Amino acid sequence: MSDLDRAIEQLRACRLIPESQVRELCYKARELLIEEGNVVSVDAPVTICGDIHGQFHDLMELFRVGGDVPDTNYLFMGDFVDRGFYSLESFLLLLCLKVRYPDRITLIRGNHESRQITTVYGFYDECIRKYGSANVWRYCCEVFDYLALGAIVLGASSELEPTSNPALSSMPIDDSELETEVLNSRGEVTMSTYRARQRSSSDASTDSRNISPPRDISAAPGQAAAPLRSGAPGTGASGDGNGSAVTSRTGAVLCVHGGLSPLIDSVDKIRLIDRKQEVPHEGAMCDLLWSDPDEIEGWGLSPRGAGFLFGGDIVKQFNHLNGLSLVARAHQLVMEGYKEMFDGGIVTVWSAPNYCYRCGNVAAILELGEDTSGGGTVARSNGEYGRSNGVVTNNRVVSPGRRYRVFEAAAQDTRGMPAKKPVADYFLT
Amino acid sequence: MTPRQLPHHRSSKLQAPSSKLLPFLMASHIPNLNTLRRGRGRGRGLGRTEETGLPSGKDRIVQGTDNDASVSRLSAVELGYLDDAYAAALTPPGPPRAPGTYARTTAIDQLVARFLGPYSPGNTHKKQIISLGAGSDTRVFRLLSSRQTPDFVYHELDFAVNTAEKIRTIRSAPVLQRALGIDSSEVSSEKHTRVAVSEAGDALHSPSYHIHPVDLRSLSTCSNPASALPGVETGLPTLLISECCLVYLSPIEAEEVVAFFTQRLFGHGRAVPGHGDSSQEAQVGVAPLGLVLYEPIRPNDAFGRTMVSNLAARGIQLKTLPRYASLGAQRDRFREQGFGNGQAVADIEFIWKRWVNEDEKERVAGLEMLDEMEEWQLLARHYCIAWGWRDREDVSAFAGWKDLEAQQGE
Repeated sequence: MSDLDRAIEQLRACRLIPESQVRELCYKARELLIEEGNVVSVDAPVTICGDIHGQFHDLMELFRVGGDVPDTNYLFMGDFVDRGFYSLESFLLLLCLKVRYPDRITLIRGNHESRQITTVYGFYDECIRKYGSANVWRYCCEVFDYLALGAIVLGASSELEPTSNPALSSMPIDDSELETEVLNSRGEVTMSTYRARQRSSSDASTDSRNISPPRDISAAPGQAAAPLRSGAPGTGASGDGNGSAVTSRTGAVLCVHGGLSPLIDSVDKIRLIDRKQEVPHEGAMCDLLWSDPDEIEGWGLSPRGAGFLFGGDIVKQFNHLNGLSLVARAHQLVMEGYKEMFDGGIVTVWSAPNYCYRCGNVAAILELGEDTSGGGTVARSNGEYGRSNGVVTNNRVVSPGRRYRVFEAAAQDTRGMPAKKPVADYFLT
Repeated sequence: MTPRQLPHHRSSKLQAPSSKLLPFLMASHIPNLNTLRRGRGRGRGLGRTEETGLPSGKDRIVQGTDNDASVSRLSAVELGYLDDAYAAALTPPGPPRAPGTYARTTAIDQLVARFLGPYSPGNTHKKQIISLGAGSDTRVFRLLSSRQTPDFVYHELDFAVNTAEKIRTIRSAPVLQRALGIDSSEVSSEKHTRVAVSEAGDALHSPSYHIHPVDLRSLSTCSNPASALPGVETGLPTLLISECCLVYLSPIEAEEVVAFFTQRLFGHGRAVPGHGDSSQEAQVGVAPLGLVLYEPIRPNDAFGRTMVSNLAARGIQLKTLPRYASLGAQRDRFREQGFGNGQAVADIEFIWKRWVNEDEKERVAGLEMLDEMEEWQLLARHYCIAWGWRDREDVSAFAGWKDLEAQQGE
């Protein structure tokens, strides 16, 4: 067994590795990350994860629900550290896995992967507390500077392979394909939506059928059940198509921690950023890590004091111009674990259940399946096609099938909590 | 009020002012109270009743929650949200929790300001504020320093262990003494009688500021309401403030505390001999009375359930929360408990959105890169400010509250 495998085993048990080994690990990680572009290309199938925030035991639950590395291909959209009590264990484990299985796990940068933010929100203090000096914090921050700013998922299938579910197999699903499926942590389907197969008409309407009641509702009352949305979920960014669709041509998915930037109108512009630095207070790099979608038109000021708010029109236009079917991002706590907005053009994925040990939310991960329809490979020139004439023609992008696995906080979490730390901060007097 | 006017059983506890006031000058000999408090208030001592006369373990957990509030207040000040010169003197060190404290403090400040009315030197309409479970609250110091000649009397009620600590802190902090109008020359004067501290060091009386060591639950059974709170003038328009205080009592106890003020102390025809309008009988002389609450709300959604169980794990029970779980239940509470002229409520998120102007929001948003927006919104939806009042036909002490925007619905 190699040192790296031993370190992985140790970290999985929530035990830290020696400082010298951290230094070596961070050095190796940097060597790997320096070779990655600002926007990493990732092939489906892939499981996309949102904020972790040092909730180590919940990260273990995530692996239990989503499958282990390297069996499952993971993409983590940043915010590994701060807020939770085990930022070090969480981040170092992810980093070990990255070094051990570089092609099976992708890490991109969140706004908390920053010197300034980590000194305020806990990671710096945790490093001092657990290692007695700021050395490990410094090693980690140097790695942060090399993390990619985004990822593009290619080759995702528009159609989900249904999970083995008796309720499903008995359902008539003629002429439609499974578009979205929500599963609880036991793998039970709690919601499915179908999209009509592409017909000759231009409409790409979505047929939504809830499987109700969720089969686990009695076993797991309250928040255990995955959210049941009454309305239809995303219909995909396929509004302007003219019929002759190739179902295999699923649009690419852009993954970024925060969102879009008024300074970035194409994926290629992201590639031009000099990313190897501390997260700036403003500018394109800052926006990608800090911005949020909002129910507004155009751009708005962010109440966070960094980044911007952007509306549905901005997302639609960005996706259209870049041949994207979906923007997947994290950054915002959503009580249901995931939230699609703007006709499914953007989704927030949040992977820290019971955030800060007090928010009572469930978490989610997003699985995008591989396109096995034999329709050929997808153009890899993200942002290139369709831009030639400034007009997108005959370029119907179909939204990928999305499978959300929703899970709750791990039971061990409270047991492993440092005894001295108050469980949660509320405003009391 | 001077010691001479105090009821007899109290004055026996008071010492000659000069000897008691001397420690004001000797800050270096005062132990660090925050350190002491940390050791006492949390952890090992919980759940045990110690020396006789001290409150039980559960009470002490509640007393310890004052730490949470003062830490939040200080970080709100340090980050520039609030302007409070007194927070630093009354706060132990801790993590930042600024924006929620900003909205809550600003809202209650506004209710208080509208109750007191604009300051004018010739203003003879004195008013009174009674703060329940005041802990280390700094509001009185801010009010005293913002109004040249105090046109109000301010009372703070809390467990003796908390009041004693606050009085010790005041003694060690010149900035607090100055706000009370005590300067070093006055302190050194033998004849100085403006500020009197009880022998036990847990009661303070001065012309505009009184600290009362009292377990609120004992009020309902006390035989003589006026003697329970010396210095309270039952003829004055009065505002009661409970910032996360009544919520720790059982619903019946909380109701009895409110009834003590609405019915007995400021009640119908039970005016206390020797005070104000005692000659007037029955309804005519009833003083205008208002109540402002700041409390958790909505315990039944995912966040609320988690909040309740997390606090329970710390030994904290929010006992009235199930009963007053919604905005509507809070309004009904005021209506039923003697505040018939107006009842209103708004959660902290609403107050932030509707009471804080855009310039101020922008200023606050620019103070730091805030990464707690969604979490903050969740938290803010689970705390509310509720206010209600009863006026007298000829004295409209709460007119200024009528055009404050309240939240509709549940």
